[in-house]
Amino acid sequence: MGFGQFLKAPEYDIKIITYRDIFQSTALESSGCGDEYAERSAVILLDKGDMKKMVLKDGRKAVLKNNFGRVVVHLRPSDYDEGHEGIGYMTNSPWSNALVSSETGGSGVPKFKMITASISDAKDEKVTSFDE
Amino acid sequence: MTNALEIYQLLPKTNCKQCGKATCMAFAAALLSREVVVDDCPPLKEDKFKENYEKLSEIITPAGEASESGMIVHTEKCIGCGNCVVACPVNVAEDPYGAGSGNAPTSDNVILRVEDGVVRLSNVSQCRRFGKNKILCNGCIVTCPTKAIEFV
Amino acid sequence: MENEYYVCTGCGLLCDDIEVELEDGKVSKVNNACLKGVARLKECNRPAECRIDGAPASLEDAIIEAARILKEADSPVLFGMGNSTSQAQKNAIEVAKRTGAYFDDTSSFCQGPVVEAILENKIRTCTLDEVKDKADVIVYWGADPSNSHPRHLSKYTYFPRGKERQRGWEEDRTAICIDVRKSDTATICGDKFYQIPPQADEELLNALANGLSGKVPKVSFGMGPKKILELANMLKKAEFGVICVGLGLVYSLEEIEPLVRLMDKLNEVSNFHLIPMVGQYNMRGSNHNLHEETGYINRVKFTGNDVEHGAHCSVVELLRARTVDAALIIGSDPMSSLPGSIAKELLDISVITIDPCNTLTSRKAKVSIPAATAGSECGGTAVRMDGVEVEFKAMTETDRMCDAEILERIMGEL
Repeated sequence: MGFGQFLKAPEYDIKIITYRDIFQSTALESSGCGDEYAERSAVILLDKGDMKKMVLKDGRKAVLKNNFGRVVVHLRPSDYDEGHEGIGYMTNSPWSNALVSSETGGSGVPKFKMITASISDAKDEKVTSFDE
Repeated sequence: MTNALEIYQLLPKTNCKQCGKATCMAFAAALLSREVVVDDCPPLKEDKFKENYEKLSEIITPAGEASESGMIVHTEKCIGCGNCVVACPVNVAEDPYGAGSGNAPTSDNVILRVEDGVVRLSNVSQCRRFGKNKILCNGCIVTCPTKAIEFV
Repeated sequence: MENEYYVCTGCGLLCDDIEVELEDGKVSKVNNACLKGVARLKECNRPAECRIDGAPASLEDAIIEAARILKEADSPVLFGMGNSTSQAQKNAIEVAKRTGAYFDDTSSFCQGPVVEAILENKIRTCTLDEVKDKADVIVYWGADPSNSHPRHLSKYTYFPRGKERQRGWEEDRTAICIDVRKSDTATICGDKFYQIPPQADEELLNALANGLSGKVPKVSFGMGPKKILELANMLKKAEFGVICVGLGLVYSLEEIEPLVRLMDKLNEVSNFHLIPMVGQYNMRGSNHNLHEETGYINRVKFTGNDVEHGAHCSVVELLRARTVDAALIIGSDPMSSLPGSIAKELLDISVITIDPCNTLTSRKAKVSIPAATAGSECGGTAVRMDGVEVEFKAMTETDRMCDAEILERIMGEL
């Protein structure tokens, strides 16, 4: 057990933009309750510079949290040419939807594509499962 | 993507003709189209070219893994969009109203078609990158959104 | 080659040139469809089971129980529809009328505003067949068809030869992508990709309209007037242009007006059309069917002969405000697709699902009724993303009932 175990993991604010990924959508067609769908959905892609700054490592997990929900997802660097500091990308799924605001201003349309949340190292926590 | 010039840089550049080609550049082009193998260049096997020999052996993957025209489809990346099927000039020429017009191929002569969500090759000898009059056509590469097609 | 072609129900593109091979009465191979379409047309890994309160039940009992819940509910809602045949949608409207229910579909939080503007003739549209035959400038705005509608570019917009576009995509067509990230589609568009910051769509819409009016277009982010004018000029010079609108654009606009203004401007100086990138295979059909019946495309409540309409009738607001006490959900999985903070309200009301597959919603439902998969197991009609009606036939036989028939049976029990 390292000393880090006793420290609260530092938290950073990020914006999350959701997008569609065909391999994830294909997994959804096969089974929305299946492992492959979970594996392809419970992921956040971060800017490489951000990962360094936040001391988050590829292959580890992150806690994403705001007033509306909390999920643990896999962490990976994105492969976009251009940097996207402060922005993380997630596919559209129950994992991203867990963080979408319930405030709609009465419009009937949630802000699916603009999520603000805090991110921190998930340490040993397991990835959130919606499949019990 | 490898091109003939990159391969040339790794050759002895002596134009010794031991391989049967007139120049090292010609040998490079022949290597690229898998007409010859790396071992067909005797000087390359000398000690001083050891590093280059190894590099070349790595770049020039055996033709067995690729199709005869050097075309490789990374099926795990393919999404079955069919962009290559419709853009391929051979498909357009062989099947203008089917594949060339965005529809299901109606000719057996097409090179590319989508089966079970992934692109499949047939008649690769008709690919414009193959054979004597080959040209560096890249219709299927630049239209692929996921870089699932590669020529070696 | 003698081929029989089928229609893919994987998305709103409804590709009509699908070849299938069968084995033991099941779809074993699907040709010409994209990866997602193949997954839709082959059987799902976890088919839905017929259950009441979690226990296995007969279809007959489940239908009777569903009807009882709807009858006894004070304020039921019918929701889903995007993955249902037009006949099922019409039957669902009848059920809603009979039970005095709210009726809403997935377009309510997707392409609704765009389809509405088209059906009200506020925005000029065209068919995908016209795009294939005529279009020379194709704009994808906030859309990534390579991931959402993989054959969009190859079957209709960019790559195919069309009647007036015989020379191939390199010479005959220009594809432009405007998005917040370099998507797979943006990659194909090469140097015609215009990256904008999140939520900056409205600014660019206005700047383009200004540019087309001869004013200097300005935006607050790093895109200079020169670059915006270059884009505006490409649009202006189009012989036949189309803007394919994705959710990226729809979600970033508070109102549809800036888009309508740009379309108006474009049609003063050029020739432009708009097509919504509708996701589910028959979401647009639901909009058309309800529009025909009520004059509204979604978000209604039936009370006697009256129809109430508005954002307060949307599924999101109904759940948020806890207005409804029962929900009949057809071919949709709101537990997955709605914000978790809103979807959780479904746990407190009586939910009935009609779906071919086991979903997060069907597993929590009080009554889960399995349906045949439209496209592979049952035929019908649907409305493509461009408004064209497409008829499709079943590929295989099944003992599962189609959603249209299940709804008819529920109606019979009411």
